[in-house]
This record gives sequence, structure tokens and C-alpha cells, in this order.
Amino acid sequence: MTEWTGPIEFALTMLRSATPLVFAAMGVLLAERSGVLHIGVEGAMLLGAFAAILAAVMLDPWTGVAVGAMVGLLAGVVLAVITVRLPSDQVVMGIAFNIAAVGVTSFAFRMTASLTQRMVPPLVSPGLADIPVVGALLAIPPLAWPAFGLAGAIWYVLHRTGPGLLLRSVGESSHAAAAAGINVLAVRFATLVLAGMLSGLGGAALTVGWVRSYSDNITLGRGFIALAAVYFGRWNPAWTVVGCLLFGAGEALAFGAQGAGANPHYYLMIPYLLTLLVVAITGRARAPQEVGRPYVRA
Amino acid sequence: MGSDRGQGYPMGEELREPAALVRPLRAGPFAVGPLGVSAAIAGLCLILSLCVVALLSLAVGASPAAVLGALASGALGSQQALTSTLREMTPIALTGMAFLLPFRAGFFNIGAQGQLELGALAAIATATTLEASPALVMTAAVLLAAVAGAAALLLSFSLKIARGASEVTTTIMLNFAVLEFTLAMVTGPMKDPAAFFGTTLTAPHAFRLPAVPAHTGLHLGIWLGLLLCLAVDWIARRTVFGFHLRAVGGNEAAARAAGIPVRRVMAVAVLLAGGLAGVAGAIQALGVVYRVAEGWSKPWGFVGILAALLGGSPVGVLPAALLLAVLESGARHMQAMTGVPSALVYVLQALPVLLFLTLRSLPAVRRLTAPPTAGSLPPAPPRLGRDSPTPDRS
Repeated sequence: MTEWTGPIEFALTMLRSATPLVFAAMGVLLAERSGVLHIGVEGAMLLGAFAAILAAVMLDPWTGVAVGAMVGLLAGVVLAVITVRLPSDQVVMGIAFNIAAVGVTSFAFRMTASLTQRMVPPLVSPGLADIPVVGALLAIPPLAWPAFGLAGAIWYVLHRTGPGLLLRSVGESSHAAAAAGINVLAVRFATLVLAGMLSGLGGAALTVGWVRSYSDNITLGRGFIALAAVYFGRWNPAWTVVGCLLFGAGEALAFGAQGAGANPHYYLMIPYLLTLLVVAITGRARAPQEVGRPYVRA
Repeated sequence: MGSDRGQGYPMGEELREPAALVRPLRAGPFAVGPLGVSAAIAGLCLILSLCVVALLSLAVGASPAAVLGALASGALGSQQALTSTLREMTPIALTGMAFLLPFRAGFFNIGAQGQLELGALAAIATATTLEASPALVMTAAVLLAAVAGAAALLLSFSLKIARGASEVTTTIMLNFAVLEFTLAMVTGPMKDPAAFFGTTLTAPHAFRLPAVPAHTGLHLGIWLGLLLCLAVDWIARRTVFGFHLRAVGGNEAAARAAGIPVRRVMAVAVLLAGGLAGVAGAIQALGVVYRVAEGWSKPWGFVGILAALLGGSPVGVLPAALLLAVLESGARHMQAMTGVPSALVYVLQALPVLLFLTLRSLPAVRRLTAPPTAGSLPPAPPRLGRDSPTPDRS
């Protein structure tokens, strides 16, 4: 494998770290555009991350990614039933869901320790990396392509197509949308299921796509970092991706400094403090009007 | 400032404002209210969690009865077991209060775990450096811990006030930042030079919280925690501040119109909450472990959130915390006796609470527990377009 050093290695670490964030952030963005606060993103990511590793060990890495997405989708269904269908308080239920997800995954991790404590093979076989041009392209994390492609597609759908307009209208004024004949609950339900799937995919991109192993609570707040990236991007997919890259750069910086031999724990604070800083600078952004408000049919 | 929940918006038959959706969540099975319904739901949740135990035990190949028996005897079976349960209960109850108090005013403090870690660090730093009479050192340690915890939460609160930053994000981020900071301290500046792993110096015997009564293992911190919880309950129910807190949480705009100093009320709640979580850290550090080391803490702050959501009111947090502490302290015994991983208790703590909250939100249940006047209000006028102020979530 080609040895990269300096800025190229930094950029690659940034991309690896940003990829799971982009998936999760796109989920958050869609949910918030439809008016649902997707606090459960952290838990859905964690469930996806665990399921992906389990499936990757038992079958193969790409199946792992698919299973991670499917488990995320199921988490999305649960969240949608609770916060859209019932409805219930989106923040409270999101918090409770996240704590439950930590519990369920830690227990499942111990139950399957003989399988899930292994390293999984990388998504692209190492042999291909020796081919000159292809190898250089393959150094870019394979899931980065679909992640960034997805962000572009979501921008197009949201801002240039009918269904995108419909989704945004539900997030801006649910009752006006309902009066115009849109089934608000159905739109929000479907969006949250999709958001759950993207969160699970983000978890899979973290474990199978990057770390290639699992440990307790491995997402370490990345769901909330994705949430912050969406705020930073002001609910615009393009700027949200920029936000994800910024956090990726923070993490790459932390790892780089860690390699230099200093006490790593100071540097591992960087992504979190960066998030605080960004949230503080972003400030009072204009959210979709109805984010956080449950819809009850009049 | 503040969140947008509480502003009126058009709703259906019996629900006209978000507060009506939040209200059932704020009343746990131990809260005062339509007791029959709450008790029935709590009973149902208990049965459901027993089913979860049974299923998970069978999946592992252990007998559900043996698992439950081991849990119970590990937590309640001997005087030593009981003591350790009470030692677990204290930080859960205190961090539960740290979540509940600002929650009543619509502020989500998910950062109790970090505030607790900071408090423990501050207490140990005091106890290992200050040389004075034991009473003075212990008081200083607990007070400094409260200041450390309050300062952490105050940062999130200031960011919310000044910049509109969502506290849900900032408190979580501070949890992780503080965790790394603690690790940096115990492996760096505060490290015991003689230790082979990251840990602080051990607090001198004289500065450890004494057992009251002597030789029981019930250290002073347990009593302090209990006292603080009862004090919070009294404040929430019997003081003007407690009334203002509920008013702000119920409808912020109405509270402001009624002349309640909304910001000051929230600031006081935030300071109290951070302080309580910090004190919880000091109690664990000086009463139980006597030093802060790598991986020293359990997720008390998060279990505390569960206790607050289950308890629903300050007085309800205590029994909820006891229940969750029983699971926590029986876990190791259960693992030793049955081979079921102790992580099972995290499932047992979280899933029933999630189920409980979900059941409370069922429309049929909500109708039963809603205040009688809710259905008789005239419908609010529909909100059109952008005429209302922007909801200020960052």
C-alpha cells in the first residue's frame, strides 16, 4: 500500500472521519426539514454501528453496511411511531432512546463478544491498492463517494423537485400543508424512517468503513456532532457537508497531534470544543418553523 | 431566549399546546395525580420489563428466576449489599434532580455526567492539596465541587442565552470534553507519580466522608444527598421560586407577561442543577472511591436522567433512583451467579423507562391523565406563515 504522509494523510483522515458524519447529518437535515427534531440520531447510529460489525464478521463488510442501514431503518420506525404517530415530546423521547440504545448495544456486544471483538476486513481488498491510479483513488474511503453523492442528491431533491417542496412545506407550516391536502403524519413518518436509515448507515460507515472494530458507545457523541453540523450548515446540504468536513478536520488534527507524542487526551477534546465553538458562532440560526413541534391532526 | 415549547398553536380535540404533550411526561408513577392510571402503567411496565428479563435470560441460557433472584440478593440480600445500593442511589438521585430542576423550566441538562466528573476532580484536588481541619477541608471540597459543576452548566446556559445555542448539543459535547479533560488530568498534572495507571493521589483518611452511624458504611454523603433531594423537593413545591419554575416551563411567554423574571429563574435552576451534579461527584470521590482514576465512574448522570423521567417530580426521583440503583448494584452479583453479563442492567434500566414514557403518551392514556379543563378551551387561532417570532433553536 502506498504510504501517505503530511497533508494528504491529514485530508484522508478528515474524509474518513467526515463520512459517517455526512450520512448522519443528512438524516438529521431531512428530519428537521420535515419538522422533526432527530435527537435519536446518536442511538440509531450506535445501533447501526453495532449491527454492521456483527454482520460484517459473520458475512462480509458490504453486507455489514447494508445491515447497519436496515437496523437504522428499524430504529427510525420506532422513533417515528413514538415521536410522530403518538406523538410524544421529541427531545425527551430522543434522550431516552439514546440511553436505551447504549444499554442494548453494550449488552449485545458482550453476548456476541466472540464475534464482535474481531477486526473486520476492509471494504476494498488491499490487493487492489497496489495498482497505480486505482490504488490512489481507493485510498479515499469507499463510502465517502456515496456520502457526498447523497448530499448532492438531497440538495437537488429538496430544492428542485416537487417531493422536496412538499417535505419542506410540512416542516415550515404543518397545518397549512395539511390544508393543502398533504398527509403531514405520513410525510414525517417516512422522513424519519429514512433519517433513521441514514443514521444507521453513518454508524456502519464509522465501524465497518473506518475503525473496522467495535467498542462500547463507539459513536462518542458523533450523532450530536452531526446535529451541530446541520445547524452550522443552516439546514442546507452543501454547507452541512462543509460543517462535517470541519469536524473531520478537527478529529484529524487530534489524531495527528496524538501521534506527535503529547498527552492525547488534551487533543481528543478538540472535536467537542470545536463543536461548542461552532454552535456558539452559528448562534440563532433560522430553523424550519415547526422543528420540535408535534403535529396533531385538527 | 428559551425554547419555543409552550407557545400556543392550533391543535386537535383535547390538545392545544405542546405543554399538554409534555405534561404527561413530567408525571411519573410516583407523582401526585390520577394515581390509578399511573400505577396501572407502572405495573404494566414492570411486567414488560420482567418479560424482557425472561427473554434475554433465556436467550443466554440462564433461568429468568435465577437472574432475578441473583439481582435481588446482590442488591438487598445483606447489610453490605444494602449499603452498596444506597451508595449507588445517591449520585443517581442527585443527577436526577440536576436534570429535573431545569427540565421543569424547559431546559435540558444532559450534561450531569460531565458535571459530576468535574465535581469529583475538584473535590479530590481539594482533599489532596489543602491542609486544614477535616470539617473545613470536606466542606471546601464539596463546595468547590458544586462550583465546578455549576460552572460547566453555566457555560451551556450562557451559550443558549447569548447565542441561542441548543443546550441539548452543548451539554452533551461538554460531557465528552470533560471526560477527556479528566483523563488528561489523571494521566498528567494530577497523576499519582507512584501509580502504574492514570489515577490521582488518594484522599487522606482524615478527609474521607465518615460513616454515620459509625462502622455501617453509610457515609455522610448518602445523608447529604438525601437532604439535598428533600430540599429540592421543598423548593420546587413550597417556594415562590418553585412556582416560577413551573410557570416558566408551562408557558414561557405567559410567565414573562405575568412579570416573572424568566431568565433569572432559569439561571438559578441551572446553577442549582450544576451544583447538585458536582456535589454528587464529590460524594462519590470522598465517600466511596477516594480518588479519581481512568474509568472510575459509572454512567450515573445518564441513569439519573432515567430516574428523573421515571420519577417525574422531585419527590418521585428518590424511589425511581432506588429502583435503578438496585439494578445497578445487583448486577455484579448476578453476573457472578448466573454468567449473564452485568450490562443486562443497562437494558433493564432504559427499556422500561422508554416503554413507560411511550405508554404515557398514548392518546387514550393522555386523555385519562389530562387536566379536566383542557378539553373545554376554545381552539387557538391558526398561526399563519411567518408572523410569529422565529423559534430560536440554534
